[in-house]
Amino acid sequence: MATFEDPRRPDPDALLARTRAEGRGELRVFLGMAPGVGKTYEMLSSAARRREEGADVVVGVVETHGRRETEALTEGLETLARQPIEHRGRMLLEFDLDAALVRRPGLLLVDEYAHSNAPGSRHPKRWQDVEELLAAGIDVWTTLNVQHLESLVDVVWRITGVRVRETVPDSALSRADEIEVIDLTPDELRKRLAEGKVYVPETARLAADRFFKPENLTALREMALRRAAQTVDDKLVGQMRAQGIEGPWAAGERILVLVGGEPFAGALVRAGKRLSDLMMDAPWTVLHVERPNRPPHPDAVRQTASALKLAEQLGGGGVTLSADDLPSTVLQYARRNNVTQIVIGRASRTHGMRDKMRILFGRSLTHTLVEQTRGAALHVVTDTLSDEGAIQPEPTATAQRRVDWVSYAAALGLVTLAGLVATAADRYMANANLAMIFLASVLVSGAAFGFGPGLLAAALAAVSYNFFFLEPRLSFRIGHAADLITFAVFFAVAMTTGLLTGRVRDQARQSSRRASIVASLLAASRRLSAVSTREEAAQALAEQASGAAAAAAVVLLPEAAEIRPAAASPNAADLSTAAMTAARWAWEKGEPAGAGTGTLPQIEWTFWPLQGLRARSGVAGISAKRGAMDAGEERLLLALLDQGAVALERAELASATVEAETLRRSDQLRAALLNSISHDLRTPLSTVLGSATTLLDYGATLGPEVYRDLLESIREDAHRLNRYVGDLLDMTRLEGGGLNPHAEWTDVRDVLAAAIERVERRLGGRRLARDFPAELSLVKTDAGLLEQAVVNVLENAIAYSSDDTDIEVASYEDRGNVVVSIEDEGKGIPPDELARVFDKFRRLEEPSDRGKGIGLGLSISKGFVEAVGGRIAAASPIHGDAATGFRGTRVLISLPKHVPTHYELL
Amino acid sequence: MSSHHRRILVIDDEPQIHRFLGPALEANGFEVISAATGAEGLAAIAMRPPDAVVLDLGLPDMDGQDVLVKAREIYPGPIVILSARDREAEKIKALDNDADDYVEKPFGVGELLARLRAALRNRIIRSGATPVVRVGDIQIDLVKRLVTRAGEFVKLSPREYALLSELVLGGGKVMTHSHLLKAVWGDDQSEEVQYLRVFVGHLRQKLEADPSQPRIILTVPAVGYRFMTDGAAG
Repeated sequence: MATFEDPRRPDPDALLARTRAEGRGELRVFLGMAPGVGKTYEMLSSAARRREEGADVVVGVVETHGRRETEALTEGLETLARQPIEHRGRMLLEFDLDAALVRRPGLLLVDEYAHSNAPGSRHPKRWQDVEELLAAGIDVWTTLNVQHLESLVDVVWRITGVRVRETVPDSALSRADEIEVIDLTPDELRKRLAEGKVYVPETARLAADRFFKPENLTALREMALRRAAQTVDDKLVGQMRAQGIEGPWAAGERILVLVGGEPFAGALVRAGKRLSDLMMDAPWTVLHVERPNRPPHPDAVRQTASALKLAEQLGGGGVTLSADDLPSTVLQYARRNNVTQIVIGRASRTHGMRDKMRILFGRSLTHTLVEQTRGAALHVVTDTLSDEGAIQPEPTATAQRRVDWVSYAAALGLVTLAGLVATAADRYMANANLAMIFLASVLVSGAAFGFGPGLLAAALAAVSYNFFFLEPRLSFRIGHAADLITFAVFFAVAMTTGLLTGRVRDQARQSSRRASIVASLLAASRRLSAVSTREEAAQALAEQASGAAAAAAVVLLPEAAEIRPAAASPNAADLSTAAMTAARWAWEKGEPAGAGTGTLPQIEWTFWPLQGLRARSGVAGISAKRGAMDAGEERLLLALLDQGAVALERAELASATVEAETLRRSDQLRAALLNSISHDLRTPLSTVLGSATTLLDYGATLGPEVYRDLLESIREDAHRLNRYVGDLLDMTRLEGGGLNPHAEWTDVRDVLAAAIERVERRLGGRRLARDFPAELSLVKTDAGLLEQAVVNVLENAIAYSSDDTDIEVASYEDRGNVVVSIEDEGKGIPPDELARVFDKFRRLEEPSDRGKGIGLGLSISKGFVEAVGGRIAAASPIHGDAATGFRGTRVLISLPKHVPTHYELL
Repeated sequence: MSSHHRRILVIDDEPQIHRFLGPALEANGFEVISAATGAEGLAAIAMRPPDAVVLDLGLPDMDGQDVLVKAREIYPGPIVILSARDREAEKIKALDNDADDYVEKPFGVGELLARLRAALRNRIIRSGATPVVRVGDIQIDLVKRLVTRAGEFVKLSPREYALLSELVLGGGKVMTHSHLLKAVWGDDQSEEVQYLRVFVGHLRQKLEADPSQPRIILTVPAVGYRFMTDGAAG
C-alpha cells in the first residue's frame, strides 16, 4: 500500500537508463580547455598505471604530434595498427574500428574524440566509433578540448573568432562515466606554447596566436571546468532520481525554439540547447511552421532542415507543422505542450521587402508573440553573429528564387486584354461598368496564377482604369469627386479580389498536392495489401517507394541471418559493397544509414530499416540521386516504408500460417494412417487369427461345412490384407517418388479388360457392362499403373453400390483425349464431398463406410493417372431426380492421345 | 447351470467375426445370437437378456461406448468389449462405463472364451451371492469384514480394507485407477494414483506369498488393478 503513495519511489526512467548502461563499456573523457594542456600525456600515464595493475590496455589511436615524452609513454603499451584509407590520392592512417572490436581489450585508448574520420570510414566521426566500442562492452578513454562541443561552437567563435569544424554532440560528453579535467593556468599554457611544447601546424600559426590569447584561454578554461562540473551534476541528479532521493530537479520547464529560414537557425538551436542545460536538461523542441501559401526560399528550406537535424544531434526534438496563421499556431502548440520558454530569432537588419512590410504593418511574429504569449518567457535572439565579420563566411546563396515570369506576363496580358475590351465597350457602357471588365481580369489572374500575379493585375487594372477611363482621360488625375470614390472603391475591390483569389488558388494547389500524396499512399497501401508473399511485398514496396521518391529503390530482406536484396525498382543499379555495409548497418542497428545520415554518408544510397509492428522486417534503400526532398515528400516516403514494413510482416505471418496448416494436415494424415493401420489391418487379422484358433481348438467338433467356411474366410481375409498392404505400398511409392512410369503405346481397351477381370470375382450380384468403340486411338502410357488406377475406381464402385445394380465401363475419344468412364448406381457422393473424394483416407471420416477399403483407393488412382500424364475427375449424382432421390457416381479418366510418329511405331 | 445353453449376444458389424465366433462359441456349449449394429444389439438385449454380451466398440450406427452405457441401463450381466483400438483411453472409458473386461483384436478364440467364462463367474461374486471369497489361503468375509490368511487374522487399516473389498467386489474385473480412488478416497482425489500404489503395496505385503510377484492383486499397466479370484485365473 505504502509503496503506492510513496513520492520517493525511484524514477523508473532513471533506473532504466542505469540498467541500460550495464553491459556497456565505461567512457572516460580527459577534457581540456585547449590543445597543449597535456590530455594525451595524462591519459597515457594513467593507462600505464592501469596496465601495471594488470589491466588489458590497448592503444587504439594516439596522436603524439612528435612529442618525445608522450611517445615514450606509448612504448610499453600494445598498439593497434592503423587502417590505411585512400582519400584523394593521399593515404590517411585511420583508427581501425573493426580490429579494435575483434581484439576486444579491457581498456582502449582512443585519442581526439572530436576527430572526423576520412571519407570511406564506417562513421564520419570518431565519437561514433567510440559509441560502437562502448556498445560492444569495451571501456574507452578519450581526449577532448572543450571548444569542440557542439553547443559551444557559437560561444567559442564569439570568444576566439575561430570557427570550430570538428564537433562532438554534447550528449557524447554526457554519456561519459567519468570526466577528468586537465587543468593548466593560461599563463602556464602560454609558457609551454612559447617553449614549443604545443604542437601547432604551421598553417594555423596565425589563428593559433589569436586563439591562445590569455583572455580566450581564461574563458575556455572556465567553460571546461563548468562543463565538467555540470556533467558531474547531471550524473548526481540522475543517481538521486534512480535512488528515489528528493532533489531539486527542474520543475517542468519546457523550451520551444522557433526556426524559420533564418541563416542563423543553427545558432537559435544551440541557444535552446544551452537554455535546456541551464534548466537541468529541460526538454526542448525545435518547431518549424510551414506556410502553405508562401513557398519558402530554397536556402531557407536548407537552413531549416539543417537546424532540425542539429536539434536532433543535440538531443532536442524537431517538429514541423503546416499552418497559415503563424502566431496562433505557435501559441497553440506552446500551450498544448506546456512550454515555459520560447526562443525566437530576430534579424537585426531587415533584409527582404517582406520583412519590412511585416514590421510596417505591425505583423511581425516577434511582436505578436510578445503581445500574446501568456505563461511563458520569450527569448529573442538576434543574429549578431552574422554581422561580425565571420572568418569563413557561409557561402552566399547563389540559387536565385525562381520567379515565375510567365505568370506575371500572363497577368499583364490579361489586364491589357481587359483594357482593349473596355476600350471597345467604352461607347456603350458607363465608366463604372467598364471597371467590371478590369475586375474580371484581376479575378482570372489571381485564380489562374496565384497570389503575386493577382496583386500585380489588381494594381495594373486600377492604374489603367484611372489612366484610360476616368475623366480626365490619359491622366492620373481624377476630375470628379464621384470618380474619386469610384476609383477608391475599384482599387480596394481589385486588390481584395487579387489577394483573395490568389490565396484561394495557392491553397487549392497546396491541398491538391496533399491530396496527391494521400492518393499515392492510398494506391500504395492498396497494392501492398494485395500481396501474399514476402517477395511480392518487397517488389511492390520497391516500386512504390521508387515512385514516391522519384529515384531508384531497393528492398533487402533477411535470409539466414544475412540481409540480401530481394527486390528493386527497374531503374536500380546493383548495390556496391559499401552500400551493402550501410544496409547491414541499418538492419542491425535499426537506424537509417548512408547518404544524408551519420553513418557512411558518402555512399549513393540511403537505407531505412523497415520497422514492422513486431520486429524489423527488412531494409529499404533509396538512391541519393533523387535530390533533396521536401518535408511532405519525405513524410510520404517514410509513411510508405512503414506500410511496406507492415505488409512484409503480414506476408511473413501468412506464410507461417500456411506452413502451420501444411504441418497440421500432415499430422492429420499421419493420424489417419495410424488409424487405418490399427483398424483396417487388424480386422482381417482378427478373422484370420480367430478362424485359425477356432479350427485348431474345436476343429474336431465342427461340421465339415463350417470347417470349410472358416478356411474360406481365412483365405478371403488374407487376400483383403494383401490388398490393403498393396494400397499402402502404392501410396508410399507415390508419396516417396518411387514411381517410375514406363510409357508404351497402349490400347486402353486391353487395360480395361484386364482390370475388369481382376474385380469380376467381387462383383456379387452387380451387372457390369462394357461399351468400347471398335476403333480407339493408342495412348502412350504405363499400362500397369493405369490398370491399377481403373481397378481402384471399380472397387470403389463395387463398395458403394448395392447388389443388383449396374456398373458401366466405357471408353471413347474426345477432343484429342482417350476417355475412360466408369459409372455406378450407388448412393453417390454429396456435393461438398466431391472435391475431397480423391483425398487420402477420406473414407475413414464416415463410420458407415467401414470395411470398404482403407480409403486410399481413389487417391492412388489419382496419383497413378497423373503420373502417366492423365487427369481424373468425379461427377455425382448422375441418375435420379429430387423425387426419387439422387444416386450414381461417374469417374472419368482422360489420357492425352498421341499420334504416333514413324519412329515410335517402328 | 449347464442344464440349459447359456446365451451369448455378439454385437459386431464384421460378418467375418461372426463367421468364426459362432462356431467357436457353439462348440463350447453356448448359444449365439448375432447383431450387426448397436441398435440391433440393444433391441436383442431388451427383448431377452442374454447371459453375456460380446460388444465390438467400432460399430457403423453408433459409438460402442454409447451402446455400452445404454445397455447398462437395462442389463446388469457381463459385457466383454472387443476392439481393434489399443488406446488406453478407450479401454479405461469402457471399464469406467462398467464393462467387465476387454479383448483386443486380433485375438485368439481361447482368450475370448476364458474372459467370457471368468466374467460369467465373477458376476456371481459381484451380485453379493457369496459373502466369503477365497483366494488360495486367503479368506475374505465381506459380511463380517474379516480377512484371514491361513486361518490367521490379517490386520488391515480401514483404508486398506475399503480398497481390498472394492477390488474383491470387482470380481476379477479390471478396476480402473479413477474408479478405485473415487470409491475409497472420494471424488476429489481421482488424480492421485500415487495413493493407490502405496496402499496396493501394503495389501500385497500382507496378502501375497511373494509381494514382488503378485498373484492376487494384479497390475494392469496404465489402467488399474484386477483382483484374481480362484476362478478368474482359469
